[in-house]
Amino acid sequence: MFARAIAVLCASALGLLSCGTIAADAFAKTGVVMAVGAENEYANVISQIGGPYVSVAAIESNPNTDPHTFEASASVASEIAGADLVVRNGLGYDPWAQKIMAAAPNPKRKVIDVQHLLGLPDSTPNPHLWYEPSTMPAVAKAVATDLSDLEPAHRGYFEARARAFDKSLDPWLEAIASFKARYGGTPVAVTEPVGDDLLRAAGCDIRTPWSLQAAIMNGTDPSPQDVTTEESLLKDHRVKVFVYNQQVTDPLTASFEALAKHTGIPIVGVYETMPTGYDYQSWMLAEVRALTKAVAEHASTTRL
Amino acid sequence: MSALFHALFARGLFSNPAVHTAAIVGALAAISASVAGVFTVMRGQSFAGHALGDLGAAGGSAAALLGISPLVGFVGIGAVAAVAMSTLGSHGRRDRDVATGVVLGAGLGVTGLLLYLDTTHSSTTGAAVSVMFGSMFAVAPSTLPAVVAATGFLALCLGALYRPLLLSSVMSELAAVQGVRVALVEASFLGVLVVAVALSALTVGAVLATALLIGPAATAIRLARSPGTAILVAAAIGVGSTWMAIILAYDSYYWSASHSGWPVSFFVVSLIFVAYLVAELLSSVGSRLATHRDPSVSRTLS
Repeated sequence: MFARAIAVLCASALGLLSCGTIAADAFAKTGVVMAVGAENEYANVISQIGGPYVSVAAIESNPNTDPHTFEASASVASEIAGADLVVRNGLGYDPWAQKIMAAAPNPKRKVIDVQHLLGLPDSTPNPHLWYEPSTMPAVAKAVATDLSDLEPAHRGYFEARARAFDKSLDPWLEAIASFKARYGGTPVAVTEPVGDDLLRAAGCDIRTPWSLQAAIMNGTDPSPQDVTTEESLLKDHRVKVFVYNQQVTDPLTASFEALAKHTGIPIVGVYETMPTGYDYQSWMLAEVRALTKAVAEHASTTRL
Repeated sequence: MSALFHALFARGLFSNPAVHTAAIVGALAAISASVAGVFTVMRGQSFAGHALGDLGAAGGSAAALLGISPLVGFVGIGAVAAVAMSTLGSHGRRDRDVATGVVLGAGLGVTGLLLYLDTTHSSTTGAAVSVMFGSMFAVAPSTLPAVVAATGFLALCLGALYRPLLLSSVMSELAAVQGVRVALVEASFLGVLVVAVALSALTVGAVLATALLIGPAATAIRLARSPGTAILVAAAIGVGSTWMAIILAYDSYYWSASHSGWPVSFFVVSLIFVAYLVAELLSSVGSRLATHRDPSVSRTLS
């Protein structure tokens, strides 16, 4: 009786084991690459390139929090450790991703560090690389290459998707070009550098001192000179638009926002991570449209 | 002379609105904290004052989460903590210290949670640094009326309490014999301490609040020979350190090409510490030179 029970147990254990193997095989055969985007804008690009052949998780996606102060949890760690492809920003924006990958080495894992992909030095002051128009085409290309290495059977699909992605950026790039042509040199004030690369691409003149932007980004003590400079930009109407980072706020940024409202300077809300209901292209296009609306119609778009 | 003037007072210092707000809020907080500090040091309640300051961090981070004035958070949490500390530790001094420590530990745990929620559920980036270490130049001018009201409240309370508080601080038994209601005075003073520490936390941050409370008071007690003088000297040291710190922090903007000025709280605390060291030195030299002088007054005070 006892021996029989043991035998049954052994058999069911074996069954479970073989089930496990079968499941893993099936999983490998369907060819779904497990991928992680440290920030949801990168995750969005991975899923646009990979289509049905990837399962993508985004780590930073809450539009109400500040990614600069993100702390990884255990579930995030296991998600990254189990991924075949990881896209991270670099430049000290997501150091936790580096730590988790170092703790769970996987020789087959492909990692795209956008900072290194673009060949940027560690001293690059502004880490918000996805607002620079030339960044995502490079990321999309690298993602297509890595996915092709992981799933050679679908190389043609990934490459076609990368080309389609590049093409889909055209409305955004056209919006930037037409803003620059009509409103180039527009003086703007910002709170934090998130959208600076896009503003520069659109020919805006960012009047807020870098030291204030850095203090707000890093949550350090702002200097009184910079606070006063920013206030006078808004008070004396020396800027046409106030670009407000909705994810990096404190009482000081709130007081600037109140001042801009009071003096009637249109406010454009910008985000660290992709807001809900958008993909990367439509998000970026919405930001340029909001900027255009602010200059052309003096209308605020505080939230996307 | 003019060169020295310009070296010390960098361009635009006197016309800068952020400096104006910092100078007024800083001075009122320094006076409140330093004066309350003299009694705190005399009563041997430095640890309670320190704990109230640290606990303020829970109130400050809760205020950041709720989007209300940090002063409300500091006073609110201080009141809760003061009640907890005096209810738990009403059996003598050692008991009081233990209760203070236990409440302090629990309060800091709550701070940890609130700061975590600040950064994960709302987008209050600078909360941790500004709650812990203060950010005088970022104090909203709209806070000013509340700061003036709190300072006025303190002045009224201390004015009314002055005699019985002084007596019960120096000789609690004698005070009781003379009909002073020591327990009531003690409770009222704890209320004063809560408000003083809250003002201090608003300017130099919750962690550094204790420096503004104890530092100028301890220095003044070293130097002064009567409680009245000690209060005046403490207030002068408090205001002097705060204003000098504002000037240095303003100047520090020009010390580096990147215009990353140094935090004003660092200068406040450093200047208070330097003043204390100088007073130590002066009083030890003084006592060597004049050993015949009766040191009973300063002994009574400290």
